[in-house]
Formats: sequence, C-alpha cells, structure tokens
Amino acid sequence: MDSFTTGSSGSGSSQLSTDQFIDQMKAQLAQAYAEEFLEIVREKCFDKCITKPGLSLSGSESSCISRCVDRSSRLPVSLAELF
Amino acid sequence: MDPSALNSPDLQRFLNQEKEKAMVNEMVAKLTSVCWDKCITSTPGNKFSSSESACLSNCAQRFMDMTMIIMKRVQSMQET
Repeated sequence: MDSFTTGSSGSGSSQLSTDQFIDQMKAQLAQAYAEEFLEIVREKCFDKCITKPGLSLSGSESSCISRCVDRSSRLPVSLAELF
Repeated sequence: MDPSALNSPDLQRFLNQEKEKAMVNEMVAKLTSVCWDKCITSTPGNKFSSSESACLSNCAQRFMDMTMIIMKRVQSMQET
C-alpha cells in the first residue's frame, strides 16, 4: 500500500513512515486488548456481585464491584510474571 | 486511492455513525445474554412473569450503573 511506504522523499504529510505505522498499530492493539479485558471484567464482576438486580445498586454491591475491578486489574500482571 | 479522501467529513460522519450503531448492537446483545441468565432461572413460560420482567428491567439498568462505576474506577487508577 503506497501510503505506508517510507516517506523520506518528503512527498506529503499523508504518508506514514514504517515506524510511525508500527507505532500506530501498537497503540491500536494496546487499546483493543484493554477494551477486551474490560469486557471480561465487566461480565465477571456483574456475575459475582449482582445476584438479584434491584431498583438500585446497594452499598454492598457497589463495594463488591470496586473490589472486583481492583483485584481483576492485578491479575494480568501476576499471570505475566509466570512467563 | 487518494489518501486525502480518508479525511473527508462525510466519510468521518459515516464511520462515526456506524461505530455508534455497532456499539449499541453490542450492548443490546450483551445485556440480553447476561440478564437472561440472571433472571430466567426456570423453564421459560409463554410470557415473562411480573417478577421476571422486573428482574430484566432492573438487570439492564444495574448493568449500566456498574459500567459507569468500572469506567470511573479505571480512570482513577490510570491517574495515580
């Protein structure tokens, strides 16, 4: 694809260098991974914390969700340390 | 393809609309799946009982409440 070749000829700012393209892809990937992870957190925390949906979130449900999110965000780091 | 066409406002507007539609679709699908599991515990009858209806409605709203809490929490974690 022409727009992704090295723009060292200076022929227009709409052309990305390979490095810029790679950086952009990395950023988008990181974003996608983060969103996917949050999806899982949402599902699991709802499962565990809200057993009978009421007319509003009770205090215990809210604190359960907070704890669940905190604990879940530590899990990928601990798992990564295994490798 | 002329790269400047990628910046056209029409295309941007279209992409944003499609993105929003996709997000809404995804939310509806998720709520349906999650709330069905949570609220329809016995064999489904030929219509929802009043307790099932109430549960489904509450479930959808509490799920949205929870989404807000999670987003705020993640934001504050990123700021520290």
